[in-house]
Amino acid sequence: MEFVLSQLAGFGGAFAALVVDPLTYVYLVTSVFLGITFGALPGLTATLAVTILTGFFGNKIPLDYSLIALLGAYVGAIYGGSYPSILLNIPGTAASAATAMDGHPLAKAGRGGEALGLTTTASFIGTLIGTFALLVFVWALLLVSKNIASPEKALLALFGILLSGTLMSEDLVIKGWIAGLIGLAMAMVGMDPLLSEPRYTFGWSYMMSGFQVVPVLMGAFAVPQIIEGLRHADVGKLVQFRDRIVPNLATVRRYLPTITRSGVIGTGVGALPGVGEDVAGWVSYGVGKTVSKDGKNFGKGSVEGLLSAETANNACIGGALIPLLVLGIPGSPPAAALMGAFKINNVIPGPTIDPAIILRVVAILVLASFTMFLMGLFTARVFIRILRIPQTVFLPVVMVLTTIGSFSVGGGINDLYLMLGVGFVAYFMNMLAFPIAPLVIGVILGGLFDETFRRSLFLSDGDLSVFVSRPGAAILLALNVALILSQIPFVQRAFGRLKRRTA
Amino acid sequence: MKKMFGTLAGAALLAAVGTSPAAAQDYPYRDITTAVVWGAGGGTDTINRMIMAEMEKHLPVSINVINQTGGVAGSNGMVYVMNQPDDGYTLVGLSESNVTAAVQGGWDKKFDYWYPFIVGGSPDLISVPANSPYSTLAELVEAAKAAPGSIPAAASGAGSIHHLNLLAIEKGAGVTFKFVPYKGSAPGQEAAIAGEVALVVTSLAEQAPLIAGGELKPLAMLTPETAEIAGMTVPSAFDLYDGLDAYLPLKQAIGFAVHNSASDDVKATLTEAFNAAMAGEAVAEWAAANNYDIGGQSGPEAQALFETLEANFAYTLQDLGVATVDPASLGIEKP
Repeated sequence: MEFVLSQLAGFGGAFAALVVDPLTYVYLVTSVFLGITFGALPGLTATLAVTILTGFFGNKIPLDYSLIALLGAYVGAIYGGSYPSILLNIPGTAASAATAMDGHPLAKAGRGGEALGLTTTASFIGTLIGTFALLVFVWALLLVSKNIASPEKALLALFGILLSGTLMSEDLVIKGWIAGLIGLAMAMVGMDPLLSEPRYTFGWSYMMSGFQVVPVLMGAFAVPQIIEGLRHADVGKLVQFRDRIVPNLATVRRYLPTITRSGVIGTGVGALPGVGEDVAGWVSYGVGKTVSKDGKNFGKGSVEGLLSAETANNACIGGALIPLLVLGIPGSPPAAALMGAFKINNVIPGPTIDPAIILRVVAILVLASFTMFLMGLFTARVFIRILRIPQTVFLPVVMVLTTIGSFSVGGGINDLYLMLGVGFVAYFMNMLAFPIAPLVIGVILGGLFDETFRRSLFLSDGDLSVFVSRPGAAILLALNVALILSQIPFVQRAFGRLKRRTA
Repeated sequence: MKKMFGTLAGAALLAAVGTSPAAAQDYPYRDITTAVVWGAGGGTDTINRMIMAEMEKHLPVSINVINQTGGVAGSNGMVYVMNQPDDGYTLVGLSESNVTAAVQGGWDKKFDYWYPFIVGGSPDLISVPANSPYSTLAELVEAAKAAPGSIPAAASGAGSIHHLNLLAIEKGAGVTFKFVPYKGSAPGQEAAIAGEVALVVTSLAEQAPLIAGGELKPLAMLTPETAEIAGMTVPSAFDLYDGLDAYLPLKQAIGFAVHNSASDDVKATLTEAFNAAMAGEAVAEWAAANNYDIGGQSGPEAQALFETLEANFAYTLQDLGVATVDPASLGIEKP
């Protein structure tokens, strides 16, 4: 308890420092506005918002302020996705796909304003739940993480890549794994971290420093979306609504258990490496449908369904930052972009991260969620107007921003070729229903896996038993094996038979 | 139109009158840019931002600090500044680690391409995790003698200043550790705390917060002087092993440089501002607070220092088999 109190005191200090700095509001209001806009425009995602801002602000302004911009955009974009979900039945981001299930029927029934008011409140509460979890759990985890050495790090990185591949695949899980392995292979390019030997550089000095994270992020997330958006440039039919956008406090109070449950689920899903807001929304929606008395009405305009999805995707933000800050393993694709921002500022997230940064992140998240809440209530109509802008206008603008962002981080023309190359590959992978997030997670975690895996073997003189002799490593190895086995049809059938027999 | 032409002509005349008596003394008349070859927030970046702010006070212009990172051992930034005119308006912020850029194939110049100014560096020391069974360097060396090549030691990447320091103490004390490379000082120190390695060699500035926090136990300084930190006196390894002065100290040298081909006036103006800044209170306070030793060498003296470092690094890298270019082909003499 004392521990929690001291955390709250530290948070209070960071929060006060943030509140009295006038520059905070400039960055915060701009970035939350930008975030909501990105979220609201179908085809532009939270990941893209954070990625583009990383390119722009990453190493141009002090990390303290770039964090405000990035986190503000992150919170705003996850929330902003709910507008088109409700009004157009097109999810603004994948994170709000579950929101559309009940949000759109509500809007069609003339309750659009109420639905928007509820999602605003739910997103606000969700963000706060996730943030609170971040504040408390990050410290608990930091204590443990000091004992995490190379074997555990290697297995965790592998788990992150595999899990992201498993959960992000649309059809076959193996496709997600393949994407993850492609990312892993890309991470091998450059100077070998242990022996300082160049690998796969083909004598080209640009390749010596490996694939830069920001151009890869831009290529993987932005380029395919822009191509796809330009190919199908159609705007859905906007549902008009007459009622006012106000948070229905009575409804919020009635559904508080649902909101709390969804917040916890969202945070938990977020904390899983490489699994993002979209999964959080769906999982929470699914759980809600199963446990709620109102379950049969889910999908027909249930307020509870709407709250389940929308609370969870925002709670996911705080959760996703936990493994990022403690272990240097991003919990979601936007967190992966955030990690890029940390890296280009020479801040290495992990056990020795400056605790002040964590407190600042928490303070920023709280302030960002307030900003989002106020903007959502008072300026929602402005954002709804944005939905009328044709994609043919804003997508080229986004392409320009993406290019400038990629270029400005490293300042080399080669980064642009890399971005385009990755972009086209990612586009065709999308067409073949290969998920792209595991590839990016692979690029980001691949370096960590390669380095720590080989260092483990180096330290043990090639003895593979280091991965089982340490208790932490043994548990992680078991998790990895279980994850792979659970996807093999033969094992799945065997488990099915076993279950039937015991039942 | 006519009036504008008149104004322009007048301005030109004024400028000509203003500059003609002693054109050379007019450096600097516009802002100077310093391109730091390492990332923002790192040691070299911090030092450059600090010293440039101090030098500004003694110059009539501002100095902008930017970062040009990437390449091999900071070669991107050095190539960038090399391609700028040698008029003293573009400086390069660098450190001792850049001397390996040439032998690693990052660029094709010897380090005397630069006219360097050394602000300082932090001395290296050897530390062990807080719960380590060794509490003196002698105990550690004894254990290493009993089991040669099996005690894991972290010291940044192969060929870094910390690695060279580790090699030096191995030679001086007649032992071998199992060198485990890490991507930088921070991950190496993290590994020591996690108990993955038994000892770590990095700089005092980098270890200070961890020593103060009780995570690391300092054993010995790799300099002739002792050091005071967190209420402890860290003994010098030199007092334990006589032969050490043959290999040590190998110290960080962080600072900035201008093209060696720059005019003497440029060099003189910069040296004057540099000396004035280094003599100031602010630099001394900053160095004390961050556990840095003040250097203050410039010009030929600094060049000689870098030449020693360059030779040391280059041939060590060649011995390790990681140099892609033969140092002799660059005209670097064997130390």
